[in-house]
Amino acid sequence: MFKSNSTGHSHETDTVIGPSVKLEGDFVTEGNIIIDGIVSGEIKTARNLKVGAGSKIFANVSAENALVAGEIQGNVRITNRLELTSSAKVFGDIKTGILAMAAGAMLSGKCQVGDEKSRSPKIDFSRQEKIELSPLEEIDRKNKIKK
Amino acid sequence: MYYYIYDPLLANKKNFNSVAKIETRLTDLGINGKINYLSFLKNIYQVLDEEIKKGLETLVVVGNDKTFIKIVNLVADLGLVVGFIPFGEPNLIAQLLGIPTGEAACDTLSSRIIERLDLGQINNYYFITSLECDGKDVILECDNNYFISPQTKNSRVTISNLDVYDGSIIRPEDGQFDVFIKTGNGGWFKKPGEVSRFNAKRIKITSQGSVPILLKDEERIIKTPAEVRIIPKKIKIIVGKNRQLK
Repeated sequence: MFKSNSTGHSHETDTVIGPSVKLEGDFVTEGNIIIDGIVSGEIKTARNLKVGAGSKIFANVSAENALVAGEIQGNVRITNRLELTSSAKVFGDIKTGILAMAAGAMLSGKCQVGDEKSRSPKIDFSRQEKIELSPLEEIDRKNKIKK
Repeated sequence: MYYYIYDPLLANKKNFNSVAKIETRLTDLGINGKINYLSFLKNIYQVLDEEIKKGLETLVVVGNDKTFIKIVNLVADLGLVVGFIPFGEPNLIAQLLGIPTGEAACDTLSSRIIERLDLGQINNYYFITSLECDGKDVILECDNNYFISPQTKNSRVTISNLDVYDGSIIRPEDGQFDVFIKTGNGGWFKKPGEVSRFNAKRIKITSQGSVPILLKDEERIIKTPAEVRIIPKKIKIIVGKNRQLK
């Protein structure tokens, strides 16, 4: 999901919030985001989000894919894949397509995984019509009940 | 109609032969024109304003990056097509624009591949390359949406339009600045410096005290608070086919 070069970060990465930087407010972008610092407000991206270990996010988060190793206090909405590493802490509701959660990851909140559309339709038995049996079938059924 | 502005460096006797070659090539290509030397004593803006009335469309800067930057700031509002013949060092801008040095630059000029590039503006002053300031106690308000503040004393903020930063080319065609915050020097026995980067179109730079903002390559200082914004496709520049813009 995140490819990095020898210098640490790929040049394709549009936004990097380092460990010594604080971001406050609504941050909306179309590119990838790597957060290693402190963020409060809201984060939205149409692409990938990486939350590094040691980073703290006090915000609602929305992205296509996310890899979380730090702490998020807020709701997380991921359209495709969310990966929580062993150091991840999420205090908020999660809604994602796919969830991968490592042992040790912390989650406090509601969690909805998968798409609502993929759920099978509920069968309503109350509306099912009574099946009329022929006289012979009716006798067989009564005999079976007696046995 | 072409108009040439020469760096005073070209008047030096040791450059006579090189200048003569360039002028001969320009004559051969039929794109020669009036020549004026850049000087503190002349008001270039006034001279160009008069030439525009006479039909001037293309202004060519002959000199290094510093000469080019000075002229770009002056002519940004005049709507001229700007050409560049690099002469001397530094010539990083020429390399990014794909313009070769010496006589070969005359052929690039003649081929007239014109690109519209973004310009930055700080407090109504245009710049094409980058701004730099100390990150201590500085707050950047970006696009009226979010605030970014470095949390360490030892940090440096760079706002770039056309430049090379840590080996990556900052392209002046995307309609936004590339902002870098470098923390830590990464000196002997220290961790390497960490770089934060993001994009923004409008940035308000504020600070507790007054912090000087340095316009790179211009030796000009503007103090905080300052407002920096990008002006997309502001200037028309003749570029080479090997330009590293896209």
